[in-house]
Amino acid sequence: MSRKNDDTAPISAKKFMDELWRYKQGSVSRRHFLSVTGLGMATAAMAGAMPMLAVSRSAYAGSIGDRVSMATWPNYFNPANFETFKKDFGAEVQVSVFGSNEEMLAKLQAGGTGWDVFVPTNYTISTYVELDLIQPLDLSRLPNFAEKYYTKRFIEPGTVDGKVYAVPKNWGTTGFVLNRKKVTSNPTTWKEFWDLSKTSATGRVMVHDYQLTTIGNALKYFGYSFNSVDPKELADAEKLLLDVKPHLFAINSDYQPSMRSGDAWMSVAWTGDGLQLNRDIPEIDYVLGKEGGELWSDFYAIPKGAPHLDAAYAFINFLIDPEINAKEVSVHGYPVPDTRTTELLPKEMTQNPIMYPAKELLDALEFGAAVTLTDPLRAEIMARFKAA
Amino acid sequence: MLLLPTTLWFLLLLVMPLVVIAVYSLGERAPAGGYQPALTLAQYANLLARLKAFTNTLTLAPLGTVICIVIAYPFAYYLAVKAGRGAKPFLLTLVIIPFWTSFLIRTYAWIYILGGQGIPRLLEMIGIEDYRLIYTPTAVLIGIVYGYLPLMVLPIYVSLEKLDKSLLEVSSDLGANPVRTFFQVTLPLSAPGLVTGSLLVFILLMGEYLIPALLGGGKVYFVGNALVDLFLQSRNWPFGSAVAITLVGIMLAAITLYLTLVGRDRGRQDVSVL
Amino acid sequence: MRLYAAAVYLFLYGPIALIVLFSFNAGRHAASFECCATSWYSLTFNNTFLIEALLNSLLIAGTTAVLATIMGTMASLALQRVKGVLRLVFDALTYIAIIIPGIVIGIATLVALVTVFDILNPLIAKLWPSDGNAMALGLGYGSVIAAHTLFTMALVIIIVRARIQGMDRSLIEASADLYATPWATFRQVTFPQIFPAVMSGFLLSFTFSFDDFIIAFFVAGPKTTLPIYVFASIRRGITPETNVIATTVLAVSLTLLITAQFLLRSRAPKAGGKG
Repeated sequence: MSRKNDDTAPISAKKFMDELWRYKQGSVSRRHFLSVTGLGMATAAMAGAMPMLAVSRSAYAGSIGDRVSMATWPNYFNPANFETFKKDFGAEVQVSVFGSNEEMLAKLQAGGTGWDVFVPTNYTISTYVELDLIQPLDLSRLPNFAEKYYTKRFIEPGTVDGKVYAVPKNWGTTGFVLNRKKVTSNPTTWKEFWDLSKTSATGRVMVHDYQLTTIGNALKYFGYSFNSVDPKELADAEKLLLDVKPHLFAINSDYQPSMRSGDAWMSVAWTGDGLQLNRDIPEIDYVLGKEGGELWSDFYAIPKGAPHLDAAYAFINFLIDPEINAKEVSVHGYPVPDTRTTELLPKEMTQNPIMYPAKELLDALEFGAAVTLTDPLRAEIMARFKAA
Repeated sequence: MLLLPTTLWFLLLLVMPLVVIAVYSLGERAPAGGYQPALTLAQYANLLARLKAFTNTLTLAPLGTVICIVIAYPFAYYLAVKAGRGAKPFLLTLVIIPFWTSFLIRTYAWIYILGGQGIPRLLEMIGIEDYRLIYTPTAVLIGIVYGYLPLMVLPIYVSLEKLDKSLLEVSSDLGANPVRTFFQVTLPLSAPGLVTGSLLVFILLMGEYLIPALLGGGKVYFVGNALVDLFLQSRNWPFGSAVAITLVGIMLAAITLYLTLVGRDRGRQDVSVL
Repeated sequence: MRLYAAAVYLFLYGPIALIVLFSFNAGRHAASFECCATSWYSLTFNNTFLIEALLNSLLIAGTTAVLATIMGTMASLALQRVKGVLRLVFDALTYIAIIIPGIVIGIATLVALVTVFDILNPLIAKLWPSDGNAMALGLGYGSVIAAHTLFTMALVIIIVRARIQGMDRSLIEASADLYATPWATFRQVTFPQIFPAVMSGFLLSFTFSFDDFIIAFFVAGPKTTLPIYVFASIRRGITPETNVIATTVLAVSLTLLITAQFLLRSRAPKAGGKG
């Protein structure tokens, strides 16, 4: 390393070595000392000391920084809005997608995610507050948020002990999608869903990599509550899941690619994925199990220690702007609990039965319960199911 | 003095973490996930709940290693013995390039090939309908062979390359047929490369996560996948620690056994070939 | 035989070629192919996060390779003179560091660091009280580099020691007989002999670190390395953009490989330890 570079070496290599060397001289001694003594894992300050990043850093013009990082769910955003945000605010949006609330929680518990905004589901917020992983929102920095426009039951879970920790993003249901060309019977219940996966649709059914919906809808097979933590009822659900396991195509919360390619014929699914698939491939339909299942609402929230707080507020406020929000919905197809936004949606959306199911179907659904998130038995059953 | 940094590193980043997870493996899962102190063997008693992950790993890892050997050996033999002198460096570089390129991306490519629009689509054209390949053990095995083949080829190549070609000539001059020459001269002499290659591949396969995650669809489950789920989904640190400790134990036992069987010195020396 | 070799090459390169081809897809969904667009490329190259992930990976791999090579070489030289129990312990640790799966290293390091930080951070907060943005230890570059260096250092030790064992000892003795200082002996006799091994160790360390996903996945905290970024984009869905990222990564590693070969060849003509 310390020897000079060969003159005949290509420029890129030389430049690379030079930059590395410069960086080394700049700050390695301190870090080296710290890490050797076991004290120093490089802190955020390091990033500022990195000459290599100077180029991209100097490029930003806005006052909120040049980036914002969001953890959310698959197929749940409109990339065009991110472009607009970048144009208007100068901050680029980074998205990481997750398949379950547990996964988001695990990341936050392990510390240092770098997220500025994340999208927790209704029933998880009280746990985040308990574990001190989420910050209360300063509503004065979210002028686009006004309680009066929102449906009450979708807004309530965001408030814990009188403090607002999260503002509503979307709501929706958990049902299943099926390819009517491949599945010719007409399943309308979870019982039929699970029975079909073991018989005529064997090898072609997907379930979420997510304990709440996978275990919850297995519980519905027996008519139990979606949220049950009763060991006996869970044992029944586990037995069903283990029975079905050899017949499944895959366990994955991002089932769109497999449904699109025709590999999978049926999958546990959320509203918006149902709508997106149905829009592009009409033979794919979205069905709510008659026994019930999940009704949910998702929120925008800011984790403790978010590195770009200003950008986080600006970004959330931007996304809940009715006009922008309507553009989100038009792409992802999840309904919004904000009447201002709903008014801007085209008729074919507001009258779409996938987005707005019939009342009797909706009435059978349950909100997820906080206890399911941390219940050790549910976590272990899900893990055993995957390991089986 | 010169040993100081290495010693510190070993102590702080190898010994300490292993001690920490050993201690954690005797603890309990905290109510909301994570660890809380306790002194119990409950986590180890629960290991059977992950039996399938262990048996999957312990069958597919050796199987993958053997398939790699079967495919790699004739290929390495061709490179070392048969290939023309002029073409050799080029041909060799062609093997090394995949070895240096992103493992993740090379695996990702197979999602296409094995998915509904790939091989099954081709099969449809010749009349085989609804054939499923992706998210099966076969898919994972293909991914394994693809990912680790270069790692098997290189050590075998190196040991065959060292092999004195005049020995082969002597053998055939003495009237040995090619098959006999192969089994009595070539194979024993290339054994060090075989040992190194299979050790490397086996070790990496035992901790494999990516290939089953991308090509197994949550259905072909290795210990590595169980570990990721335990830490990143169920947040059961004590049980995860117990699984990790058990995995390391099994590996140490398997490798020691293997090296004893093939002759310890030879195996050890040859890890350096890479 | 030749046909067989050709088939193996096809097997090795077919999938890579496919990715490169599909990166020129003009359609939005990657499942179908419409020829040919480079629009995804301009989108990708303007992606701040991708570029940052690439720079992070280069920084981490570079630092890891330097640390592992220096410390590993130092240890190899020192171990020549170490005998007895200490030697046994050291050999065992090196061996363990090599065979422990990356996933276990990742998990154990994460758990241990989180535990240590939980103890140290309140202490730090007490010793250096500050308002608001408290100084706190956390996961990041340091933890990834530290964890990568563990494995790669063990690798360097094994490679360099094998070379030392095969070294011509009489030269060193002669040098000592001629009253050369130990340092001069090292610089003029030992180092040139072990240089190819040191260089191989450096390159292997760099590659390992640059390509590692699983360890970084656990200990990188808020930092994104290139493999983490690629993994995340595979999870976001298989779009032409993912293929462009993949192709770009291939191009970067190829450039690094060619550069390394070039450097190796011009410095030490026979240094090609890996062939």
